[in-house]
Amino acid sequence: MPQLSDTMTEGTVVKWYKKEGDKVKEGEKIADVETDKAVMEMEAFEGGTLAHIAVPEGGKVAVGATIAVLATGKEAAGDVKAKAGGAAAPAKASAPAADNAKAAAPAQQSSTAKVAADQTAFATVAQLPAVEPTSKPVVATIEHAVRSEVHEHASVGHGATRQPATAFPPLQHGDRHRIFASPLAKRVAADKGIDIKSIRGTGPYGRIVQKDVFDAAAAPPAPAPAAEKPAAEAKPAAAPLPTRILSGEKQAIPLTKMRQVIAGRLQASKQNLPHFYTTVDIEIEALNELRERINTQLEKEKVRLSIGDLIAKGVAVALQKHPAVNAHYDDKNNQIIRFGDVNLGMAVALPDGLIVPVLRGINQMGFKEIRQRSADLIDRARAQKLKQDEMTGATFTVSNLGTFGVKEFSAIINPPEVGILAISAGEKRAVVRDGQIVARSIMSVTLSADHRAIDGAVAADFLRTLKGLLEEPGMMLV
Amino acid sequence: MREALRAAMTEEMERDENVFLMGEEVAEYNGAYKVSEGMLKKFGPKRVWDTPISEAGFAGLGVGAATMGLRPIIEFMSWSFTWVCIDQIINNAANVRYMSGGQYKVPIVFRGGNGIAHQLGATHSHRMESVYARIPGLITVAPSTPYDAKGLLKSAIRCDDPVIFLESEKMLNDTAEVPEEEYLLPLGVANVERKGEDITIVSYGRPLQRVVREAVRHLVEDHGIDVELIDLRTLRPLDTNTILESIKKTNRCVIVDEDWGYCGMGAGILYKIQKAAFDYLDAPIDYVHSDEIPVPFNHYLEEAMMPSVDRIVSAVKEACYR
Repeated sequence: MPQLSDTMTEGTVVKWYKKEGDKVKEGEKIADVETDKAVMEMEAFEGGTLAHIAVPEGGKVAVGATIAVLATGKEAAGDVKAKAGGAAAPAKASAPAADNAKAAAPAQQSSTAKVAADQTAFATVAQLPAVEPTSKPVVATIEHAVRSEVHEHASVGHGATRQPATAFPPLQHGDRHRIFASPLAKRVAADKGIDIKSIRGTGPYGRIVQKDVFDAAAAPPAPAPAAEKPAAEAKPAAAPLPTRILSGEKQAIPLTKMRQVIAGRLQASKQNLPHFYTTVDIEIEALNELRERINTQLEKEKVRLSIGDLIAKGVAVALQKHPAVNAHYDDKNNQIIRFGDVNLGMAVALPDGLIVPVLRGINQMGFKEIRQRSADLIDRARAQKLKQDEMTGATFTVSNLGTFGVKEFSAIINPPEVGILAISAGEKRAVVRDGQIVARSIMSVTLSADHRAIDGAVAADFLRTLKGLLEEPGMMLV
Repeated sequence: MREALRAAMTEEMERDENVFLMGEEVAEYNGAYKVSEGMLKKFGPKRVWDTPISEAGFAGLGVGAATMGLRPIIEFMSWSFTWVCIDQIINNAANVRYMSGGQYKVPIVFRGGNGIAHQLGATHSHRMESVYARIPGLITVAPSTPYDAKGLLKSAIRCDDPVIFLESEKMLNDTAEVPEEEYLLPLGVANVERKGEDITIVSYGRPLQRVVREAVRHLVEDHGIDVELIDLRTLRPLDTNTILESIKKTNRCVIVDEDWGYCGMGAGILYKIQKAAFDYLDAPIDYVHSDEIPVPFNHYLEEAMMPSVDRIVSAVKEACYR
């Protein structure tokens, strides 16, 4: 497990791009590894054959632990694998999905024959006409079972008419669209992070049972998805089932690395930084109109600005006018560092945390570039694919909960930055203009400031500038 | 078992003079099945009452006596006969406390032989547990050993609510060690009779005694399946916690009784547990029960309709994917 960031102490193998036995070139991407910060690509340090995968997908190990063994030069992959502790058996036994395509035809023939035999026996017992033995063996098998159930109680018993479970050949993958699995098997597979679709069921009608999950977990990882049939690929992945905590139970969720970093840093910030908060209401009618006009112009370029892009630009201009806010508080050296550029951090929510990609040099960008670059950053942030320098070096941060309809909130400063701007939803509010109550689109923003670096008047002056820029967007050019 | 039941009644009648026994042939004849043998002599005709052959009459008499402060034990020669007095039990005994807003309680025990007791024919072989266990206001108990019978019957007699106490004519000759000193077994608590890891079998009373223990022995010794056997002891209120804790461990469950399957006792138990057990199940819960036909008089047909060792073994193996 390579150390992929300064603070990384352990990593999780998210995905293997190579399977055992694959040839690997030096520098070729072989795996995705999740660190405390992001999912990063891992490249092969040398060329050779991937002989043994020691950590399956989903496995978490400490930095420096063996995650795979590469056979180089004249070494035989099988020998290396044996030495590395993995079984030297060929991958065949553990590659059900790959084998299915080949195995499907003969398996179907034999199951047809078996079903036909079963039906003859059944007809004798239950005095029913034999079912057409050659058509749709799978359906016939299930009908057969249903009839067996129906007759179970009307004749003389459980043992007499109920066929043992082994009478029904397991369904092959590809024979069906639904996966049959016991509730326990689904739960265990989810706990182990094993895709239920990759498991071959051995229970009645091919049901995946707990033992199959354990067997799959013990076996080396399944072959790469490329081996699956195109039809299976075409189907959209099923939405993950919501996890429900059963009544009367509780669930312990171990802190992810990200959660620990969030917890540690934000707690330290709240404890060490004397936060104060300043809120202004900003009328955004003009900003909305400007956005619509520009979007009409940009329509043919398929670019569509969000209100956040215009606000980001306004923040950048305001920060350049107020370098005291675009600064770092350097308590080690008893100084405050002001910056000529604005590197704007943008808080992005993730399913289990948040991440702050940084739009570097936003002061040099127009609206369109802000849109394109921030969309790219946010997409990759959600996919946890950010590079290290795209997550560091912010001079100021914005957090926007406007899309959730939040009226007003305050954010926690991400030190060494000295301020963070909390942006809430624009909404129609009743305001007084020229002595009349009128409806106007108003947006509240709250600046959290570190009083060690910024005084109240500085914060207020910054917000007055920002308000002016956003209410009269042309002033951004002045 | 016979002596254990008698001991329970005798001890409680000695302990509380409000307790009395009433039923067909319980006094002069010493009991149709000799459960009350010697009790007339010991307690006299005021406390051991013979009744006419009129279940509706003496069941109703018992309910009235209970509301007035006595603690009757009503013996039925067979629970199959209670179809004719079911109004007294279900409408009156079960509901008086509720309908009177708690002004009257009904501390009464109805007891007698229940279920299929060998060649009594379709009308005298009813398994009444699913009829009574579904009634709010009644407590339904079904012991499977003499020890349990004594401890549970004593608790039933001391209970302030009506208790349906289901014995079996085919269990009265069972012998086992029963302590002479006083003990009580709590109502509403199941007994994990055998601890195991592979599958939970849930049963009670006569089916447990007749066939389930034998099936468990086969499963453990011949098939290497480590069965956890739960004797429910009380069918209402059902001890679902004990069943669920067991299923969480074994991930499999088979229920066995001698009721008809549809709307049967086991079907009710299944309803009570399946939702909470769902995420722990590796196989569907199975239910082994009698075939849905009138109970035949013929010995072989009667045997054939009921759960057998083979049927239980086959259901358990199927649930274990063996």
